[in-house]
Amino acid sequence: MSEGESAEADQFENDPSVRQFVANGICMKTNEFEEKLDAGNIQEAESALRDGLSLNFEEARALLGKLEYQRGNLESALRVFDGIDLQAAVQRMQHSLGDKQPSKKGRSRSESLSAVSQHATNLVLEAIYLKAKSLQKLGKLPEAAQECRSVLDAVEKIFTDGIPDVLVENKLQETVSHAVELLPELWKQAGNYTEAMSAYRRALLSQWNLDNECCARVQKAFAVFLLYSGVEVGPPSLAVQIDGSYVPKNNLEEAILLLMILMRKFYLGKTKWDPSVLEHLTFSLSLCSQTSVLVKQIEEAIPGEIQRIERWKAMALSLSGAGQNSSALDLLRMSLHKHEEPNDVMSLLLAAKICSENVLLASEGVKYAQNAIANSNGPNSSHLKGVGLRMLGLCLGKQAKLSSSDFERSRLQSEALKSLDSALSLEPENSDLIFELGVHYAEHRNMDAALRYAKQYLDATGGSMIRGWRLLALVLSSQQRFLEAEVVTDAALDETSKWDQGSLLRMKAKLKISQSLHKDAIETYRYLLALVQAQRKSYGPLGVAPQVEDDNIDEYEVWHGLAKLYSILSHWKDAEVCLEKARTLKEYSAESLHTEGVMHEKQGRVSEALAAYINALLLEPKYVPCKILIGNVMCKMGPKMLPVARTLLSDALRIEPTNYMAWYHLGIVHKDDGRIADAVDCFQAASVLEESEPIESFSTIR
Amino acid sequence: MEEDEEIINSSPEKATAAAAAAAAATATTPSNHKPHITWSDSYSKAHLAIEALSAILPSLPPHLSSSETPATSLLHDSDVAAQISLLLRRPDSGGANDNLCAWLYDTFHSSEPDLQLVVLRFLPVLAGAYLTRAALNKPLAGFESVLLAIYGHETAARNGQAVTVSIPDLAHSSIYHETKQTAAKNGSTELHLAVISPTLEPHGTVRSTRRPRIVGVALELYYTKISRIPIGSKIEFCEFCKIWSGQFSDQTLNENNPPQHSDNPEKTTPSSSPVLRILGHCLMGEEKKKKNNNNNNDDELFQTAISACRCLNARALHDINPKAILATGSLVKLAEMAAAAADRTSPDYVDHTEIAMTNIISI
Repeated sequence: MSEGESAEADQFENDPSVRQFVANGICMKTNEFEEKLDAGNIQEAESALRDGLSLNFEEARALLGKLEYQRGNLESALRVFDGIDLQAAVQRMQHSLGDKQPSKKGRSRSESLSAVSQHATNLVLEAIYLKAKSLQKLGKLPEAAQECRSVLDAVEKIFTDGIPDVLVENKLQETVSHAVELLPELWKQAGNYTEAMSAYRRALLSQWNLDNECCARVQKAFAVFLLYSGVEVGPPSLAVQIDGSYVPKNNLEEAILLLMILMRKFYLGKTKWDPSVLEHLTFSLSLCSQTSVLVKQIEEAIPGEIQRIERWKAMALSLSGAGQNSSALDLLRMSLHKHEEPNDVMSLLLAAKICSENVLLASEGVKYAQNAIANSNGPNSSHLKGVGLRMLGLCLGKQAKLSSSDFERSRLQSEALKSLDSALSLEPENSDLIFELGVHYAEHRNMDAALRYAKQYLDATGGSMIRGWRLLALVLSSQQRFLEAEVVTDAALDETSKWDQGSLLRMKAKLKISQSLHKDAIETYRYLLALVQAQRKSYGPLGVAPQVEDDNIDEYEVWHGLAKLYSILSHWKDAEVCLEKARTLKEYSAESLHTEGVMHEKQGRVSEALAAYINALLLEPKYVPCKILIGNVMCKMGPKMLPVARTLLSDALRIEPTNYMAWYHLGIVHKDDGRIADAVDCFQAASVLEESEPIESFSTIR
Repeated sequence: MEEDEEIINSSPEKATAAAAAAAAATATTPSNHKPHITWSDSYSKAHLAIEALSAILPSLPPHLSSSETPATSLLHDSDVAAQISLLLRRPDSGGANDNLCAWLYDTFHSSEPDLQLVVLRFLPVLAGAYLTRAALNKPLAGFESVLLAIYGHETAARNGQAVTVSIPDLAHSSIYHETKQTAAKNGSTELHLAVISPTLEPHGTVRSTRRPRIVGVALELYYTKISRIPIGSKIEFCEFCKIWSGQFSDQTLNENNPPQHSDNPEKTTPSSSPVLRILGHCLMGEEKKKKNNNNNNDDELFQTAISACRCLNARALHDINPKAILATGSLVKLAEMAAAAADRTSPDYVDHTEIAMTNIISI
């Protein structure tokens, strides 16, 4: 019927700019009706239209209302629509449809819904919908929402089983889809968020036969509402939950679910790509630190929609955020390839940062950092020059650690320092940098400078960072100022809540040992043990640490520390028990074997000790303390073994040039071999280094 | 009135006592001042708060004392807001004898949700002033008492529990799956569990290492109430984010200058998750969508929020913090997209709920 109409209309139509009514095969220009309506004569216009086009009352009103709506005469449109008793019409329709329909379920029932009645249904529903739209445009939002909702209520009454996929007239479906999409918007604009939420859920959980695009729009709008409205909507009602299916508990979960579903629709080709969906997902997943999930989502996005370099960069950031730095670096290497974007400062800096954390990658990181500095002259990246210099300093410092020649090492170290200093001159207030300089100086035993930076860092952060307190205490301890170090540690403990005290308590125990206050040390360790065990229990079944900071210490460390302490005191039984506990927590550990060896050796079981040391080296070939101890044992085996001892100790010093024990034992080897001058040098080095030995390595501070 | 004076002048250290006194005052005062009002506790509490405030502020708008809904009027009064913000920003504010902090503390402890909202409304200015000054080793017991009150409230409300989110996995069927089958259910894929906010322990004092966390938790509470918080407060929050980011102002970013850091060395920053959620709301919450109502305030919020996001993004790049780069970068992009989409004059603008406008009007 409608096709016939429009065909005829096309014939009739000469000037497409002339507005006209078309019904029952007849066309009428609208100007004369417009005049009548403008004069306020609604009834006159109505009867003229009924006569002219052979329409009934409702049809005529619906057409006139639509005309006024299109002309932007919203008040007039509302007056026209008000003339129809829409609710009565809906009721009539329900009855007529109800009579025709057999009570059996299934498609046959929908089929019986004839085109004629669908047509009549749409006429009424569209009129209500336009009424809602008019009210919306007039700013009467709650009223608009009520009208819009009545469209959906009517549809639900008419189609009790939801709208069937097929057999629904296009126009009717269009009105339904419009109303479904409009209702939540109206409630939102009216400021009624509870209603908006139920309108969204109603839109998505009932069967409205929405097309893919419309459904995707509603899903996205709901996700945005959930993410940003700031109103917690509560989980969906039990009625819509299906056994075994995932039910979101809060806004964030529901939003992420919807966004993931949208992403899947994109790659299945069901809906058009919308870049904002990925951005919303990126925001929400980074918000809850789940960038590993984000990696998969970006990976699955259809090729072509995201530029490949953008994809690599986003994935690299996500992987790095999830702690998968080596995969992140692989992607950055691709995006920094000379044919891609070799000068992208963000990628260069991230790559340099990842490399700065690994001795083996440090030299690669140096290149990235240098490149980043060279490229941070643009207007948008000049503030990143200091960061580039800082990364360069860190990478060079790391590279120095691997260096085999003394000359090369000191060259790299001084370059590292130069870079960090230039970074500091650009950013004198950068507290991270101040901290790193402190650690750098401390590692190279320039304790006065280290102390200065440690204090500066503590001031700059207002004591809010545990690592600041630890650095200061360690620097003091390496100056053999144990009492002061203890004061700092106690102050830090005061400023820390108990779950974060682990590393401070461990330090305190070691400070006590350094002062030969072994009983106090044991007490401290016992307290620490109780704390660590309570903490493990309090994590509960979730197994998540309450603190994000990763310098929490584990139970193994405590048992092992106790074992070492008892071994110093020659309480062999206690030491054995503690070591056994440590072993159950961590089966293969060079540290445990080290302690075990020391215990054997002290009790005169040299071959057992040697076996333990060698096992430790098999686990960790670069484990310096055992190299030294083997060297020491070899040294005692007589002149034939001296070259072996010397090799081992030199090797230890190559890895840890500031290890005073290694220098000391090397001195003994030289002495035994008759090289007195060399021995003196070694002893001197050992003595100097021992005076600046911290109670634990500076690299334990993160 | 004398009783009120006493409460105000008491130091926050004695705040608990002051709160008890306030409770006592609440119980007795209505019969003295407004004998006919006994029907509403919250009404009288709000009036008491306003009276107490009048002793602190230079001038209090007279309509507040006569308001039918005093707490709401207090919340939305821009004049009062400006006066309180000014006092909080004064260089000597926040000390142990700060009357205003004592008032905020007592008002928060009134246990009236509407009055607590008034206190939360000033959280951005208070937290901003506090964090910028905390490193200078000045005693800020006044600020801290308010922050601890808010922190304690949230800790109690949550029973100290962590807030977690289980990340959906599409391999599990869900309420929004199109095919409503449960067959695809696969027990082998575990849901990722994310901790949004870790467990809370009670704090009686602000330990310096817990400072960022305590402010962060206060901001978490602020976020849960954000739909009722006046826009002015949100704008203040965005300004605070800019300071927090180390003042990489937009200008600095665009000029060929090294970054200008603020005078204060404090780098203590609250936990980033609530900050990002609040900013997301400021950029894409419902206020933004009402832009066509010609509300300049809303646009000001949007502009301040996007500028705060750019600053935080610059800061994230500066710290090479991948998660923060992703989150702030997405917010900036989304805000730009939203600004473009809201432009109704753009040829790309489509209203999907509009009917097709044709010259042929048929049934």
